[in-house]
Amino acid sequence: MSDAAAVEVRDVRKSFGAIHALDGLSLRVPRGQIFGLLGPNGSGKTTLIRAILGLVRPEAGEVMTLGQRMPQREVLDRIGYMTQAAALYTDLTAEENVRFFAAIAGGGDVAAALAFVELSDRARSVVATLSGGMRTRLSLACAIVHSPDLLMLDEPTVGVDPHLRVQLWDGFRAMAAGGTTIIVSSHVMDEAERCDRLGLMNRGQLLAEGTTAELLARAGTDSLEGAFLALSQATE
Amino acid sequence: MSLRRALAITARLLAGFRHDRRTLGILFMVPLVMLGLFALLLRHDPIPVALGVINQDAGPLGGAIVEELRASDRLDVSEPTSDVGRAQLEDGTLQALIWLPEDLTATVAGGGALRPQILLRGTDPSASALTLQTVQQAILAALGAQNGGGGARPPALEPQVTYRYGGETLDGLDLLGGPFVGLVIFFLVYVVTSISFLRERSLGTLERLMASPLRRGEIVVGYMLGFSAVAVVQSVEVLLFSLLVLNIYNAGSVVLIFGIELLLALAAVNLGIFLSTFARSEFEAVQFIPMVVAPQILLSGVIVPVASEPEWLQVVSNVLPLTYAVDALRSVMLEGADLASGVVLTDVAVLAAFCVATILAAAATLRRTVA
Repeated sequence: MSDAAAVEVRDVRKSFGAIHALDGLSLRVPRGQIFGLLGPNGSGKTTLIRAILGLVRPEAGEVMTLGQRMPQREVLDRIGYMTQAAALYTDLTAEENVRFFAAIAGGGDVAAALAFVELSDRARSVVATLSGGMRTRLSLACAIVHSPDLLMLDEPTVGVDPHLRVQLWDGFRAMAAGGTTIIVSSHVMDEAERCDRLGLMNRGQLLAEGTTAELLARAGTDSLEGAFLALSQATE
Repeated sequence: MSLRRALAITARLLAGFRHDRRTLGILFMVPLVMLGLFALLLRHDPIPVALGVINQDAGPLGGAIVEELRASDRLDVSEPTSDVGRAQLEDGTLQALIWLPEDLTATVAGGGALRPQILLRGTDPSASALTLQTVQQAILAALGAQNGGGGARPPALEPQVTYRYGGETLDGLDLLGGPFVGLVIFFLVYVVTSISFLRERSLGTLERLMASPLRRGEIVVGYMLGFSAVAVVQSVEVLLFSLLVLNIYNAGSVVLIFGIELLLALAAVNLGIFLSTFARSEFEAVQFIPMVVAPQILLSGVIVPVASEPEWLQVVSNVLPLTYAVDALRSVMLEGADLASGVVLTDVAVLAAFCVATILAAAATLRRTVA
């Protein structure tokens, strides 16, 4: 295994009952890149993210994250994880939430994390009083407060307005430039263009992987949506 | 008012029940189980009071009284030696001891007062009252038989009553108070932990904790310390209220009582974490409450002594942690027992073991990976 890969997934299988959430999937994500996982709901994106974090034990295959075979606890303080639903303590303030997640990850700059998501002025607001978009941003602040080497974002921009979405992506780009590897899942194709590389997922399999240009060229289409449809038909 | 729209709500509710078999089970099973337990406890014949008789009477009257006492189905009469009797009263085998003095027959024949000496254990006001009443009846019956129903005036009856523990002033609250304190603390801590840990699961923050370097032992210890801190304050408050405001009888060490309550609180925290695993919503966690609470209120000996339950039900009582807490709290508060007493030591050891078991069970449910 090359040390340059932040994540390497090999022939991973995982099923829940009759559903094959991951069906012999292999994937390699280089360090310092923004990698987009694209696919419709139920295509296995979240299960793949959870396998990379070691929260799911595959039936077959192996997952190497930051050079460690998962599941493995010690590597987790170098990973940030933003879950699909904003997982926050609704009875605490924004600042208290971020401080808590910093503490369990071994420390971090709470003020900087809140500033990054533009919530400094709401630091003392109880989460229950924040809007949906604010909660999403706060959830992100909790995921990045300990300056992780690997950031896992499960549909991070759902419910975020376009203005802020642009800012968040600028932030992600800056983090990647600083050496952070970011894996973003999304079912919104237009976000994909901001990623360095993309993986198209369907039914627990990786249909194709590459830069946006490569994928468009391979599918012979001019939109990622078209490419997705063409490539998923090709494998059926 | 549109009946169609109202019925849509009705149909939705019933459809929900159809998918939620567990709620249905709880709705229809819990009342039957609780009523059944009540019936078993309350319809069961009261256990006879264990009475030791030491008959030193040289004449026939003492023997006649013993016969009458033995004939009563409310008493379980044995005739130990004085020393054995005192020891058995001490450890709870006997509820009362009665001495019939050497000159009993002679004194009565000479027109003197009948003065049996009665030593009551005194920790159970109803047993004390029952003993005194039954002894009195037995003596009167024995005297009546001796007189052959003749018109001789019966001698004055002046039993000399002393109490080993507690005393005449002990009332129902003194008996219930201590165990009730334990009960309240156990359930409030259990409910609060159970709901708050469930929120951890349903809000998704538990998933985040699992994706952090936290060890599951650290989560359990953190929860335990947090809720125990609240439980400590609650225990102190309830205890002070019981002892200072309600004047509940206490002959034992307040520190020991406090220690027992704390053990109960720790067990409750971990039981809450453990059981929240099996609930998918706050609604379901609330449903677990009567299942955990009801049997323990009924079967832990707070209301009806465990010894008076049918034997198979005693087996159930003996696996409930609260049974041991109730027994320990009563021994300490009513008898002034400390850890040197085998009974209290056993109770505390069982509680501590239950604590450890719930800690391990709670930690075991916090698996990082799903299977």
